[in-house]
Amino acid sequence: MYGNHVKQHLSAYAHGELAEEFAARVAAHLGDCSVCRAGFDEIKFGIRLAESLPVVAAPDSLWSGIEKSLVESARTKHHNTATLPSPPRFKFFDGWRRLAVAGVAACFVLLAGAVWFYLAPPRAGWEVSSLAGDPRIDSEPIGAKGRLVVGDWLETGEGERAQIKVANIGQVEVDPHTRIRLVETRVTEHRLELQRGRMHAKIWAPPRLFFVNTPSAVAADLGCAYTLEVDENGGSILHVTSGWVALETGARESFVPAGAACVTRPGVGPGTPYFEDAPATLITALSKLDFDNGGAEALDLILFNARKRDTLTLWHLLARVGETERALVYDRMAALVPPPANVTREGVMRLDREMLNSWKDQLESTWMFESMPTLRKALRNIMPK
Amino acid sequence: MESCAAMAERLSGEQIIEACQLGDREAFRHLFEQHKDRVYSVALYFFGGDEATASDVTQQVFLKLFGKIEQFQGDAEFTTWLYRMATNACIDEQRKRRRFLPFGDAFKLSEPRAKSKPDERAARAEVSDSVKRAVATLKPKLRVVMLLKYFEELSYEEIAEVLDISKGTVASRLNRGHKILARKLGHLRGSLVHSE
Repeated sequence: MYGNHVKQHLSAYAHGELAEEFAARVAAHLGDCSVCRAGFDEIKFGIRLAESLPVVAAPDSLWSGIEKSLVESARTKHHNTATLPSPPRFKFFDGWRRLAVAGVAACFVLLAGAVWFYLAPPRAGWEVSSLAGDPRIDSEPIGAKGRLVVGDWLETGEGERAQIKVANIGQVEVDPHTRIRLVETRVTEHRLELQRGRMHAKIWAPPRLFFVNTPSAVAADLGCAYTLEVDENGGSILHVTSGWVALETGARESFVPAGAACVTRPGVGPGTPYFEDAPATLITALSKLDFDNGGAEALDLILFNARKRDTLTLWHLLARVGETERALVYDRMAALVPPPANVTREGVMRLDREMLNSWKDQLESTWMFESMPTLRKALRNIMPK
Repeated sequence: MESCAAMAERLSGEQIIEACQLGDREAFRHLFEQHKDRVYSVALYFFGGDEATASDVTQQVFLKLFGKIEQFQGDAEFTTWLYRMATNACIDEQRKRRRFLPFGDAFKLSEPRAKSKPDERAARAEVSDSVKRAVATLKPKLRVVMLLKYFEELSYEEIAEVLDISKGTVASRLNRGHKILARKLGHLRGSLVHSE
C-alpha cells in the first residue's frame, strides 16, 4: 500500500465524496502510512480554515439598483412594443380579486406550513437502528429506525439495544440502560457524549476523528474497537479489543492498546492502563494507587507482580509518581525490558519526553505481540530454540 | 417521508420561479433576498475583498438572471444555474480587468458573529481575516472551487457541472487549495483550536 499513496484523494475522502469501497481502502492506507496521515492532518486543517470563512451580507442598496434597471428595461420594452398594453400580471391589489387571491395565498401558506411541520426533512445526523426493544431519541420511540442529530439524546431501557451508524467511519452499539448524545459531526471531528451505560465502538477512520466524552474523561479513537461503560457516579471503564484508544482529561493522558483496560474517575481523570490478564494483585493495587492514595505499599505490589507486558502500566506510572518512586519503577522496567540505547536513566528521571516516547515505541511491539496469544504460540513453535 | 418533504420544498421554489417567469416583481425580490448574500460573498472573495466590484457583479448576475429566467426549464437545479451565472460573471469581470486586484485593506465589513467572549471573538476574527487574505492569493481556478464548496455547499458533482470540469479536477483543485491554506496559515493551528 505504501507504493500507492492516497494524498491526492484526501479532500474527497474528508468530504465523503469517495465511493464506499475506495474510501475504506483510503482509511486502511491512512492507518498504515504515516506520510499520508500527515497529509490528511494538513488537509483537515485546510478544511477547518476554509470553513471559518463567513458569508458576508450584501449591501441593502443593491436591490434599489436592480429595481431601477428592471423598471428601465420594462419601460424600454413597453416603448418598443408600441401602444399594446401588456396583459395584467399578478394584479393582487384590485378589489375583490385581491381578497380572493389573498385568501388562496393564506390557505397555501397554512397548507405549506402543515406539510412542512409534518414532513420536515430529516436534519443531518446519524442513522440509528433498533437491535432490541424500542429505544428513544429525545423521549420519542424510534421504531425500527431513527435519526440522531446534533444535540439529541438516544436512550435505551431494560432489554433495549440500538446501533448507531457513525457518519461514514464506523458504528456504535448501545447496550440497555444507556444515555448517549450526539455532540458534533463534521468531516474533521465526530463526537458523542456517553452520560451513563455501555457502548461498543468499531471505527475504521484515521486516528483522532472520533471522540466520546464521559463525565470523567474523553476517549479519543486511534483506530480501533472498544467498549466503554459509564456508571451512575460518572466513573468509567474502557476495554480495548483492537487498535488503540487514548483517554484524556486536562494534562492526564492514558494510551490503552488492545487487550488492556483503563478506569476513570470524576475529579481524577484516567487512571493507569493495565492488561486485562494482569495478575489480580497488580490490578487491585493499581486501583488503590490511582484512586485511594495507595502509596508505597500499592506501588511495591505493582512492581513485584509486573510481567514483561505490564511495562504498559509501569511506563505510564513513570510520569505519575514522585522522583523516589520513579527510580524504583525505572529499575523494574529496565529489568523487564532494557531501554533502547538512546534512553538513559537520567533522561527518564527528568521525564525527557523524547526518551519516554522512544522507550514506548520499543515497548509497543512487546505489548502488541504479547496481546496475541495464538500468534505468539505459533511464532514460538516455528522459532529455533 | 424524505422525498415528500423535499418535494414540498422544491414546489415552493418552483412557485417563486414561475412567478418570476410571469414578471412578478415581488417574486424577483424574494428570489434576490434568498440568494443575494451568497452570490455577493462569492464575488467579494473572488475579487479579493473589493466591495464595489462585488456589488457590481452581484447586480449584473441578478439582472441577467431576471432577464433569462423565462428560459429556465427546470431541467437543472436552479442553484446550479444561478452559480454558473455568478462564477461566469466573476470570470468575465476578471478578464475585463486582466489582472487581479491586490487585497489591500479590504474586508473591513462588520460581520455578524455569534455571541462569545471578547478573547474568543478576537481569535476568531484573526483566523477569519487571515483565511480571507490567504484565499485571495489562491489562483482563481482554485479559489472559485473553494468558494462554491464552502459558500454554496455544493457537492463535487455540482461544482463540476457549474464549472464544466470533471469531478476529478474539482477534487484535485480542492486538495491543492486546502494544502495551500494549511501551509500558509500553519501558525493559526493553535488559534483555530482555541477559537472553537
